[in-house]
Amino acid sequence: MRDTGEEVTRAQLRHGLRIATLLVAVVTVFGLGLTNLMRYMDRYESPLAQLTALAALGAVLAVEATLLVRGRSWNRLRGPAIVIVLSASALSYVTLPDGRTSTTVDWIFGAANWVGIVVLLDRPLRTAVSFLLAHELTALLNLLLLDDPSRGDMARFATGSVTVFGFPLCLAVVASVMRGLSAAAAISRREIEQVRIAEVVAAESHSRRQQRFVELSATTIPLLEGLADGSLRPEDPVVQGRCAIEAARMRRLFAEADNVANPLLHELRHCIDVADRKGVVVELDARGRWPEPPVAVRRDLTEAALIVLATTVSRARVTVTGSADLVSVSVVADCGELNMPSPATPGVQVEALNNDDTVWMEARWQPIRQLAS
Amino acid sequence: MAADSAAGELITAVIVDDHAAITAGVHFWCSQAVPPINLIDAGDRLADVWTGPGAVADVVIFDLELVPRRPDFGELRRLVDSGRRVIVYSQHTDDATVIKCVDLGALAYLTKREGPEHLVAAIRAAARGEPYTAPSLSGALVADDSPGRPRLSQRETEVLRAWFVSSSKDLVAAKLNITVKTVDTYIARVRVKYANVGRAARTKSELVGRALDDGLITLAELNQTETQL
Repeated sequence: MRDTGEEVTRAQLRHGLRIATLLVAVVTVFGLGLTNLMRYMDRYESPLAQLTALAALGAVLAVEATLLVRGRSWNRLRGPAIVIVLSASALSYVTLPDGRTSTTVDWIFGAANWVGIVVLLDRPLRTAVSFLLAHELTALLNLLLLDDPSRGDMARFATGSVTVFGFPLCLAVVASVMRGLSAAAAISRREIEQVRIAEVVAAESHSRRQQRFVELSATTIPLLEGLADGSLRPEDPVVQGRCAIEAARMRRLFAEADNVANPLLHELRHCIDVADRKGVVVELDARGRWPEPPVAVRRDLTEAALIVLATTVSRARVTVTGSADLVSVSVVADCGELNMPSPATPGVQVEALNNDDTVWMEARWQPIRQLAS
Repeated sequence: MAADSAAGELITAVIVDDHAAITAGVHFWCSQAVPPINLIDAGDRLADVWTGPGAVADVVIFDLELVPRRPDFGELRRLVDSGRRVIVYSQHTDDATVIKCVDLGALAYLTKREGPEHLVAAIRAAARGEPYTAPSLSGALVADDSPGRPRLSQRETEVLRAWFVSSSKDLVAAKLNITVKTVDTYIARVRVKYANVGRAARTKSELVGRALDDGLITLAELNQTETQL
């Protein structure tokens, strides 16, 4: 909100400056210029040429007024417009009576500069300066080549130039400073945004790490502490089993952050990988399509497989079957005694079946009942 | 049982597979089986299935993808139409391919992950003209949600799913509190239902006829599945 407010203010300022410049140019051309032109009409070699030059300047101002109303910029018309302005002043000078440069008869000296600035207001400062120099040069060449200037003429030209060059230059400088300010403001605003995003990301990942640590602390930390203080012996098969389970849980935890198409299968593969490394032959097969279960449900579903696989001796079959109203993860394996996991989420049920030395454990989740409750 | 009567005569199977290692493996399993199964190696030459010793083999073990990624359903159709008993043996496990093979009249569909315990059993079943449903095929039948599928009862679906999941009929029987024989009956019923909605091939008519004789399915049930289409 604040940023858009700033943007609106800045646009309004630029718009105001453009209107002011146009008004100054119109007053200069049609107030001062036209008055002087009419007053000395009989002195010009070709009044028609002077009127043509005035009309050309008038046309450029008319185009600017149209663009201003439509809220558009000069774009590709800018070059031709400047050429028209400079041609108009060249035409005017060629037909100017001798020795009248930068007098009131030379009406275009104080008019064409404003028209040029109107066209170049939103361009870099050096463009406006170049135009003003070209304008000055036209007048100076006329003075030097067509006339035979006296010291007085040169002094008059120099004094005239102060206003002709100086005032439009001030305006161009103001416009350029305004542009610089808004550019700097935009850059710093972007930098502030980036810093804020980085802060939010850092806070988010910190809390996620904190959360993971809390999840591990209940089971992993006591195991590590036991191993460290010697109360748990690494050669004890029960301890080895617990280590395998914790390793698989950590793998699953890391896999939960991955962005994959089927997170349940992805996490299950990570759980299986730990058993795979122990030399257990694990088959994984999945059939059907199912809605993506939330993280807590996925943990409950994979927990059964994870516990069974940790104590499996030689081979295991892990299967996922799914439909819109049932997702089931099953493990059939040759493993010894094990503790049934108790699911944390209400929609998940775990069943186990022992047959000789084979264990079949199945975790089921019914999404529809989950939503209804 | 039927297996005992078939045990008297030597079963002959012909295998079409372009992978020599697969053929060698299957050959070993067949020679180790009791009683052994005589295996003819056709390599990747389909012609050897139609002429020579391959032409009179009881069972055809058919690699669906002799050309990678181009399953040869046309050849499967021709084999079934000429009354051959076909086991499709493929690396492919996508459900649509599996169901299509069953619809075309293959008696068994096995993935190459399924070992001798399924392949040898499938060859014996096919030699008797009976279907064999391995766990992978069972999984595909459970997951089948195509519009033309036959309607399965809840118990049939449960048995199929449990067979796919556990790949042990003892476990299925223990889990569902039924006998292994009942497990087989449910699976056979599902195959008959599929044979009934599939194309009318000779082996399929045999299959449906035998199912009626054995009381696996009644005429009323047959008409019921037809009207559902």
